[in-house]
Amino acid sequence: MFGSEFPSPVFRSIERSRHRGTGLDIRFEQAEARFEGRTVLHPLTLSLGERRIGVIGLNGSGKTTFARMINGLVVPAAGRVTVNGFDTAKDGDKVRAEAGFIFQNPQNQIILPILKEDIALGLKGRKLSKQETEAAVEAVLSRFGIAHLADRRAHELSGGELQLAALASVLVTEPNILIMDEPTNQLDLKNRDLVERTIRGLDENVIVISHDLSLVADFDRVLLFHEGRLAADGVPQEVIARYREIAA
Amino acid sequence: MSTRDLVLAALFAAIIVALGLVPPIMLGFIPVPITAQSLGVMLAGVILGAKRGGFAVLLVLLLVAIGLPVLSGGRGGLATFVSPTAGYLVGWLFAAYVTGYLSERFVDRSQSSIVQIAGFFLAALAGGVVVDHALGVAYLAWGTGTGLMTAFMGDLAFIPGDVLKALIAAFAGRAVMIGYPLLPQRA
Amino acid sequence: MKTLYVEGDTFLHRLSPRVKLVALAFSSLLLFLIDSPLFLAAAAVCGGWIYASLGLGWRQSLLRLRPILLTIAIVAVFTLVLNSPGQALTVLLRLTALALLAAAVTATTSTGDFIDEITLAARPLERIGLVRAADLGLSIGLVVRFVPEVLTRYQAIRDAHHARGLKPRPLTLAVPLIILTLRNADEIAAAIDARGIRAQK
Repeated sequence: MFGSEFPSPVFRSIERSRHRGTGLDIRFEQAEARFEGRTVLHPLTLSLGERRIGVIGLNGSGKTTFARMINGLVVPAAGRVTVNGFDTAKDGDKVRAEAGFIFQNPQNQIILPILKEDIALGLKGRKLSKQETEAAVEAVLSRFGIAHLADRRAHELSGGELQLAALASVLVTEPNILIMDEPTNQLDLKNRDLVERTIRGLDENVIVISHDLSLVADFDRVLLFHEGRLAADGVPQEVIARYREIAA
Repeated sequence: MSTRDLVLAALFAAIIVALGLVPPIMLGFIPVPITAQSLGVMLAGVILGAKRGGFAVLLVLLLVAIGLPVLSGGRGGLATFVSPTAGYLVGWLFAAYVTGYLSERFVDRSQSSIVQIAGFFLAALAGGVVVDHALGVAYLAWGTGTGLMTAFMGDLAFIPGDVLKALIAAFAGRAVMIGYPLLPQRA
Repeated sequence: MKTLYVEGDTFLHRLSPRVKLVALAFSSLLLFLIDSPLFLAAAAVCGGWIYASLGLGWRQSLLRLRPILLTIAIVAVFTLVLNSPGQALTVLLRLTALALLAAAVTATTSTGDFIDEITLAARPLERIGLVRAADLGLSIGLVVRFVPEVLTRYQAIRDAHHARGLKPRPLTLAVPLIILTLRNADEIAAAIDARGIRAQK
């Protein structure tokens, strides 16, 4: 598991554990998504291996569907998607163990009343002892600097605290890849910066969907979706420039 | 039950609990405050259908049983289940199920609004008034040994209010069905 | 959310929850089977003694027991008027004894212990495919988690009424409250599945 103490939360990178940093191999093979008879993502072939990937596009462009397909929440209507070799349609549980997902509204991600109980919930299938579970919860909360909130009620947490709690709730299971849907949406400037720093400090592979262009400006690769199709794919500056043309 | 069904039922249970915590709401046309919790039970059936609506109410009853003061007026705990009025409380479970079952059966999206409202009203009346009051009276009569007639006389005072709630549930159920359809439809 | 459980270390607190629940069920059976006023009076006194032994004090006890004792009193008065004094006394003693015993179990059993018992009791239902035992604990947690959010939303809808000079009515309050709350279901369900909390079948 983790070392014992991580006093300064967000900036410290930590020792890699068994799951993390083993590389990333996401493949879309003519994968298509439909919703109520409508095609929301046209057949897409793509492979992703970069450590930090940004996904941008207008509302309704298909970017959230794309992200949900990576962790198997949306399964392709045609074609296939694999994550580190696991097919999202066949091995949903294994794919979800590889790829954690943070939703737009962190409020809906915390599902039990007390924070530490909620974090522990993700470990239930692991058959850990009570002490091991407590240690893992404590470690992940310390990692994000919110160990002091362990006994607090979820509805008492501020927006920034909730976003960090949502991160902790997902990362406690040590996924390889972290997918975040609009992580800075609805946050004030202070909490937005906190979340940005946190994302930069993460060791995991991250895929961030965002309207917040400065968040992805130094990522390794950025994808632009438009009307259900991949409209641009490359280094941030070029793709962001293309996005400005589309939005204009 | 799918995860979504489970969450819908839990959220509805949270709504029923919340309705017991807010101050009584005044009706528009007659100056009578209504406690909204039993309205919530009818709404659970009308909006979620038999299975999920019933599960929502079951969750509320479990919360009561484990000692959370979630009933209106801060009541809760096992003592509520041995109170003379416990039949009405346990009756909620059947009320939601019956209301939900009838709603699923007789209301669908293709009908005109008047038919939908009438369907929901009759479903809520059957579940929330007939079934719930029958169980309430039965336990009141048996549990206190007062006899059915006496129990029924006491019950009568509460019927007009619950009929009114069935009407509100019907209108609300139809409004929710238009805004966010959830009721399982027959194939 | 507050619970009716009271921290303590009395004999009842230490007793296993299962023993308490079985004892409660057994005593309610006895109380309904036996009509002797003497037995019922003894039971009511006994219930009072057990409840008093929790050491809650008069004020607390009265506050907690008032709603149910009031209901019992009303029913007893009804019975007195419509039936006979003997029957009224039986009702009063029987229901008071029951209420005191049940309230004592509630005050000495924590929410977590109750959930464990419920999960255990649901195992046979799981075997016949009716519910999944683990779902019950999860759902109870979900309800407790989201009640405050629903209340916040209710307040916001009420404020919106006032801001627009509208009087809050059951219909105009309930409909937006329900739609806004249930809309979160998809995302909450997706979060549960994404975290692998309810392992897929």
